[in-house]
Amino acid sequence: MNLFFRRSIIAGTGLFLCIFMIVHLSANCILLLPEEIARGMYNAYSTTLRENPIIKIVAYLLYLSILLHVIYAILVTFRNRSAKPDKYAINKTEDNSSWASQNMGLLGILLLLFLIVHLANFWARIKLGMGASVGLDAAGNVDVYEVTSSLFHNGFYVLFYSLLMIPLGFHLNHGLKSAFKTLGFYHRKGLKVLARVSVIYASILSVGFGIIPLIVYFK
Amino acid sequence: MEVTFRIWRQDNPTNKGGFINYVVDDLAEDMSFLEALDHLNEILVLRNEKVVAFEYDCREGICGQCGIFINGRAHGPHSNITTCQLYMRSFKDGAIITVEPWRAKSFPILKDLIVDRSAFDRIIEHGGYISAKTGTAPEANAILIGKGVSDKAMDAAACIGCGACVATCKNSSAALFTAAKINHLNSLPQGKPEAHQRVLDMTTQMEKEGFGHCSFTGACEVECPEGISIANIAEMNARYFKAKIFG
Ligand code: HEM
Ligand code: FES
Repeated sequence: MNLFFRRSIIAGTGLFLCIFMIVHLSANCILLLPEEIARGMYNAYSTTLRENPIIKIVAYLLYLSILLHVIYAILVTFRNRSAKPDKYAINKTEDNSSWASQNMGLLGILLLLFLIVHLANFWARIKLGMGASVGLDAAGNVDVYEVTSSLFHNGFYVLFYSLLMIPLGFHLNHGLKSAFKTLGFYHRKGLKVLARVSVIYASILSVGFGIIPLIVYFK
Repeated sequence: MEVTFRIWRQDNPTNKGGFINYVVDDLAEDMSFLEALDHLNEILVLRNEKVVAFEYDCREGICGQCGIFINGRAHGPHSNITTCQLYMRSFKDGAIITVEPWRAKSFPILKDLIVDRSAFDRIIEHGGYISAKTGTAPEANAILIGKGVSDKAMDAAACIGCGACVATCKNSSAALFTAAKINHLNSLPQGKPEAHQRVLDMTTQMEKEGFGHCSFTGACEVECPEGISIANIAEMNARYFKAKIFG
């Protein structure tokens, strides 16, 4: 279990989460359609996913990824801290590196906080049947749309969901390009392209996920 | 010009150190930072006080001895230089200049601004060389090396082992140093026979010495006096995985 192994686990699971996030955001765009269309489509889509055996495997991979990502992030951070026990009286990190790259742990803790609330809001209610029961729509599908739309008519949750997409953007901007380097991508020109791709990817995800609750709230 | 040096003083590795302020008022702007410290030490000698211990050798930016953390940056406020290449004109008259040793668990402080960087030597001992017959120098054209390859190897070989990468890294990672040494040799034909073993041995030693992980903050390549690119670390990672699979 060496330096490379630990970092590769974080990078590999991080990249898997990055791919998942694209699929997740695309699906959430259904929420932006007029309610009559959106409800049926969103519920049909989520039912199809829940019943697909391949998606079930992917879902378990996803839980495992999140778990491993967090566990190894903690392990890595512990060793990193112990490698630098004494801090500088003055350290101008802003002159040589990005804020996000210096604070991936802090950003990660915010994402973990988000994830706990997010899973409690949806996963616990829909999959585990905890809290208020979820009804069916006209087509007989579980009304996930209702869960989402009622949540996003609560001002507190709208703010919580939208604001926490800011740290997500920062985590992903540094994380995406860093993960590729961790896994050994070293082509010089490619790395320049990668840096730009990371900004674009992180912006789309953070703005995309962040704006949907606001649009649903004001719709 | 007058400046206040706020310098970390520590008698030995086990003592607790602390900052002491020294006002020095007759400095010239064209003095190098090390000359300014020399000047301070002359004053301390006349006052019968202990001089500030700091390391240097060449004073022309090639030996890598003069590692000092100055005002929150490795080697002071400019990027890609050594401390001996830093001049007092980079500071304002009346400035307070905080002067600290490199801080990393693997670089224990010996005295004042001097740290023990022998962890780097031990990494080199684990493969930072090639096995070759000694004797007369071989014919230079016996092994042909393309310009692209030789340029890249030279860029990596430029590492002077100053330790700024470890000093500035939030994780005290020695990845840039180790990567530079590995890529320098592994990209050349002379380094190929032992390439896989070199990566595995040197990185294992790097881990044993207690350095942290690379988070790719990029601080190291900004503070490196030789401007060694962080892409070297990604390349070391690729070489490591290759060695693990095929080695
Ligand atoms: C659940 C809470 C999370 C925590 C606690 C967390 C923590 C961390 C930490 C500490 C690092 C950096 C390690 C370092 O700098 O050495 C990191 C890297 C990373 N994270 Fe997260 N993270 C979380 C969620 C996410 C999510 C949701 C994604 C993607 C959608 C993600 C993608 C990444 C990527 C791609 C990296 C880069 C890996 C590398 O540098 O090689 N993380 N994470
Ligand atoms: S004294 Fe040799 S590099 Fe500064």
